Amino acid sequence: MVGPMYDFVANPLGAVRLTFDKTIGSGSDPSSFDGKDWGAVDLFRHFLFDQARLSQVPILNGATINWIKPNTLVRFRGMIQDMMGNELYVGAYKDGSVWRTNKFMDISQCPVELNSPDMRLWERRLLYCVPVPGLNSWAESTSEGAVNMCMDSTSEQRDKRRRMDIEAVDHNDFPVSGDESEDSPSVKRMREDPSSSQYLGPKNEGPCSSHVILPDVDRDSLPCLVKIYDSPESELKLNDVFEFVGVLTFDSELPSEKVDQDEFSNGLCDDVSVNLPPNKVPRLHCVIHRKLTAYDFLKNSPPTEPKPHLVKEAREALLRHLTSILGNDGVAAHFMLLHLLSRVHARADNVAVGKLSLNLTCISKETASVFGTKLSIVIKNLLPFTKCIPLTVEYLNSASLAPKKDYQINRLIPGVLQLAEGSHLIFDETCLETGTLNSAGVENARLLKALTELQKVEYDFKYYKMEMMADVQMLILSEGKSNIMPADIIMPFQPSSAGPSDVVPTEVLEAWRWYLATVRSMPHLISPEMQKVVENDLVTARQADRSLGSQDFSRWLTMGRLISASFGETSLSLEHWQMVKELERLRMDRLK
Amino acid sequence: MASDSSPGRNNNGPSSPDEFASSPIGNTYSSPATRTRRRRRSTTPLPYNTPPTNQSRFATSESTPTTTPNRTRHHVSTPSSDGGPPLSSDAGDDIDEATPTFVWGTNISVQDVKAAIQMFLKHFRDGQSQGSEIYEEGKYMKGIHEVLEMEGEWLDVDAHDVFDYDVELYGKMVRYPLEVLAIFDIVLMDIVSLIQPLFEKHVQVRIFNLKSSTTMRNLNPSDIEKMLSLKGMIIRCSSIIPEIREAVFKCIVCGYLSDPVVVDRGRISEPTACLKQECLAKNSMALVHNRCRFADKQIVRLQETPDEIPDGGTPHTVSLLMHDKLVDAGKPGDRIEVTGIYRAMSVRVGPTQRTVKSLFKTYVDCLHIKKTDKSRMLAEDPMEVDNGNASRRIEEDFHFDEAKIEQLKKLSRLPDIYDRLTRSLAPNIWELDDVKRGLLCQLFGGNALKLPSGASFRGDINILLVGDPGTSKSQLLQYIHKLSSRGIYTSGRGSSAVGLTAYVSKDPETGETVLESGALVLSDRGICCIDEFDKMSENARSMLHEVMEQQTVSIAKAGIIASLNARTSVLACANPIGSRYNPRLSVIDNIHLPPTLLSRFDLIYLILDKADEQTDRHLAKHIVSLHFENPESAVHDVLDIATLTAYVSYARKYIQPQLSDEAAEELTRGYVEMRRRGNFPGSSKKVITATPRQLESLIRLSEALARIRFSELVEKHDVIEAFRLLEVAMQQSATDHSTGTIDMDLITTGVSASERMRRENLASAARSIITEKMQLEGPSTRLLELLDELKKQSSFAEVHLHDLRNAVATLASEGFVVLHGDSVKRV
Repeated sequence: MVGPMYDFVANPLGAVRLTFDKTIGSGSDPSSFDGKDWGAVDLFRHFLFDQARLSQVPILNGATINWIKPNTLVRFRGMIQDMMGNELYVGAYKDGSVWRTNKFMDISQCPVELNSPDMRLWERRLLYCVPVPGLNSWAESTSEGAVNMCMDSTSEQRDKRRRMDIEAVDHNDFPVSGDESEDSPSVKRMREDPSSSQYLGPKNEGPCSSHVILPDVDRDSLPCLVKIYDSPESELKLNDVFEFVGVLTFDSELPSEKVDQDEFSNGLCDDVSVNLPPNKVPRLHCVIHRKLTAYDFLKNSPPTEPKPHLVKEAREALLRHLTSILGNDGVAAHFMLLHLLSRVHARADNVAVGKLSLNLTCISKETASVFGTKLSIVIKNLLPFTKCIPLTVEYLNSASLAPKKDYQINRLIPGVLQLAEGSHLIFDETCLETGTLNSAGVENARLLKALTELQKVEYDFKYYKMEMMADVQMLILSEGKSNIMPADIIMPFQPSSAGPSDVVPTEVLEAWRWYLATVRSMPHLISPEMQKVVENDLVTARQADRSLGSQDFSRWLTMGRLISASFGETSLSLEHWQMVKELERLRMDRLK
Repeated sequence: MASDSSPGRNNNGPSSPDEFASSPIGNTYSSPATRTRRRRRSTTPLPYNTPPTNQSRFATSESTPTTTPNRTRHHVSTPSSDGGPPLSSDAGDDIDEATPTFVWGTNISVQDVKAAIQMFLKHFRDGQSQGSEIYEEGKYMKGIHEVLEMEGEWLDVDAHDVFDYDVELYGKMVRYPLEVLAIFDIVLMDIVSLIQPLFEKHVQVRIFNLKSSTTMRNLNPSDIEKMLSLKGMIIRCSSIIPEIREAVFKCIVCGYLSDPVVVDRGRISEPTACLKQECLAKNSMALVHNRCRFADKQIVRLQETPDEIPDGGTPHTVSLLMHDKLVDAGKPGDRIEVTGIYRAMSVRVGPTQRTVKSLFKTYVDCLHIKKTDKSRMLAEDPMEVDNGNASRRIEEDFHFDEAKIEQLKKLSRLPDIYDRLTRSLAPNIWELDDVKRGLLCQLFGGNALKLPSGASFRGDINILLVGDPGTSKSQLLQYIHKLSSRGIYTSGRGSSAVGLTAYVSKDPETGETVLESGALVLSDRGICCIDEFDKMSENARSMLHEVMEQQTVSIAKAGIIASLNARTSVLACANPIGSRYNPRLSVIDNIHLPPTLLSRFDLIYLILDKADEQTDRHLAKHIVSLHFENPESAVHDVLDIATLTAYVSYARKYIQPQLSDEAAEELTRGYVEMRRRGNFPGSSKKVITATPRQLESLIRLSEALARIRFSELVEKHDVIEAFRLLEVAMQQSATDHSTGTIDMDLITTGVSASERMRRENLASAARSIITEKMQLEGPSTRLLELLDELKKQSSFAEVHLHDLRNAVATLASEGFVVLHGDSVKRV
């Protein structure tokens, strides 16, 4: 597809329009493709990936929202927090005798009426996305290419520029779209229409308008309403982390216009515009989306091939570091490494296979302040999404852990436990004191227990609860064995020194991050011979000790898998299986 | 005035007037649509005159004022403009046209549709009534008469009937509901006015029970303006919105009352000046609220039911628009099935602006709603036994369509259906096959029998699972609970006696005493699952005696004396007393449950964690494969839970097996043999191996087994399998460990026959020692001394102190000795 070179980033709609006109021109009827892509997406894909221009596309976040022009191409990285259902829009309509499209746009240029033969209704999905909860600063992406585009301009200039941009959009994009500016009467009419100039009016009011746009939104957590076109439903799931590349639209709706809505239209109108005023939540008309993996959060694209010596080196260094952080407790460091590598890789009925939650016991308030903080800093530096929650009675009683559906505003109110896949949680139970749990507290404790045992979170839909799968690594610090969260591994922590607080150079950290991301995503197998050995071992162990159950076996196998993975190997070897047994023996000795 | 409920094709009349209001070129007044419709209307005579209030069933009122002259004209010619006068003038123009008229944009002839509907309404007869009562009126003629008698406002029409009578009409109705329903209404009113010319109310047609229903997720633009049915749960209801239909104005100067002004597309044109010739005061007209006519309207949000939501999705919602009688028909939390028309409405950017957001809001105009609750297995109607006609209701609620029935029957003909069902039950719990078979029998249940004499025999099978911790008892319970029609899951710890049966409470509003049902009553006709049965309080457990055999709950408190039905199967599970099963003790000693209660369980399974290498290997294999293979591949041909539920529901509802002669004979033979087994040759002690209760259990089990095969006849092999199941359960629970035989006394009294004999021997030996060594009223002896004496006799070498204590206690109860702590004194 070689067309005229347009600026994909500055005027993406131009490309959309041009391809549309071309398709129509070649004799296709708009009804024939029914909202499906007509080649525009391919064009963008070619531009972004084949030509590797993705980095030129600015990233939308709290800081950049103020200078990114509307109707330009932006990137947004976030977690799907809520799904707002589908929306019907006028996909294509006839303007005079010419077909036009509204795809990737909010506002129709030309009024249309239902069921006229000159109009096609298409469908798009609405997703409410938020920045990934617990995203660490090192994983935040910056768009190098685009950052300095407007950085030098002062705020006033910015405003002026923005204002001009808004007006410019209407004027500009038609010429670009294909030399038909003279025969677009609707645009002219719009421009002449007093009401349309009126809606632009308030924008011209003063230099403070840039602050009006996002008055309440926390700069760090800019949500975004993403509109998805042509994508199967199963592709995007709740809590998935995606990068959306699409057209940012700046909606000209003003809050004041909402006032006179009567109850009827409130009831019917999908509450979206009411509760997510477009001046607070930007809209992104997604052209291309891709699921992000842990790799995508690494700064420099490291070698993709996991070379054995690199893996081994990283493993050794990381283990050394963990050992020293944990006050020379080597056994604990081993378990910590396995814990950091764990993820749910399969589910069978009620069993989440592959999870390995760790409970470090024998930690008093004092040791928690020393080791806990160090540990949380290390983990923060290693994994992209982490959170540390000091567990107290008040917290349990007051926090809203589970997401809850609010039917008044028709939104899913996020809870603490609505997390992206692969998030890491540290629960510090050392500050938990005796107290009474109220009903919310009991419910929260139940949720935490279910999350530890089943890796599931119950979302509260008021009339019923819905279980959502989760994949969260949980590390619990407590004095005794935690009763709220029964972890897979209870590890009495025995530090022998305070541990140094040396600063790890960034390159080393990056190598470790790469190591964790790589090793976690590796496939894993077991040879039939090894399977026999393992089975025999399990049977003998059970014959010797009747109290061993399926949980213990599960734990051993998970550990076996993780140990061999930590060496960068894809199948379990006898040596690693012996290591599992040895580690378990050491742990059991401590538990006695 | 039925014609004005024929909503426009090109503009959907009043319900989506927005696009007119905001569109600068929304002037379709000259479009063919309008003309056609005008013509169409002209062909329908309007011999009746109904008040304009009930018109325009889809009317909504949020149109914006527009004052362009041509648009006003347009309104006049739109059918949705309610007024009669403009209509007649239109009709006058076209009245002579006799050419066939068509629904705009289609080749559907209005006359044809009309004729088809007339035929349908007049001649449709139910399948059953056909033949014998051929001269009787059709189903819907009867319905119309009923409506007239009741002065009702609508006639429910089953879409299945339409389909059966005229497939073509059904197709048209679903594709062009607005037009066809309008014609339907016209035809209906024609008929009504023929029957009763003075009938004043406007009768509308309400279609329900469409052949197919859509899911909310599959709604797409092509469904717009189509009739569809949706299932879901109401999550929000707006308050009732009074919608003005007819306004009356009064002149504040002279008091002149205007004629009623009819709502025109959601808008009332307020007279700018008094209409009275003498007054003509400007801006003097005020609305008189209590002379206006209003109609009810409500917006309801419907959300997908949890089972329709795919993995990783959140529920979709859709707005419903309810009118008149449908208002408040459902409350938040209700599961309903609505039949309605999917519609779209454009969204304006602002009321004063012409730009339309390129969005359309969709909603469903409701025609009919039906409450459903089908998340679980079909429950038999609670009143079924006592009230014959109530079963009809059930049929409506849970409709097995033919394809489904055929599929189930096909399943039932599989030779391995019994094993297949067993496998499908809790497939994640391996082994325990016989326990699963028992649970399967419980799900299917036996036949309840009520003799004319008043005696009744329960058909429900009660099961107790006793076992070591960690043997997935609770998981089995949870699974059965999920599967069973209705039922309560309780934990013994948290249940009180009243919580299980019924309790009396004071109504906070009226102050009257009200009977509130407890778990057992609520799970009438279902399965009540009780976890931690052993931890239940004595008091609560004693309440179960009545329930488990008589299947009623009798209450006599606070002025309420009642007997409530509690025909529930009980599935309980308990831990052994020392948390681990002690094989040296009897079941009774292990579970510590009163034998009276225990005997009411048909099957008692001991789920023991035996040190069996085979099982261990199985477990190890299972876990290894779980970790290293695709766990899905491990599951082999099992029925999914929905099919299983349907299968069980169907069997419970339609299959009522009877004992065949052969089976009855086998039962008798087997029972006699079981009883005989207790009589050892040469043994004087009598061991009871079976009681009449066991015979009843056997009958129930064999009936359930026949049901599993969808067989109306209990065959011999069902009985044999029932014997096997009972024996498997008994062998585990009622084996006397000292003799190895089955001993029902263990269950009924808690003491096995051999044990009882031993105790008797011990007591008599103790008696003889005491008579020998101690004097009447003499000094007391310590128990330990007595034990030493006893141990000198060879046959009592292994007597324990507590056995002796028991024996002495028996003697004490006879008044032979007095026992004070450790000292025994002869009296």
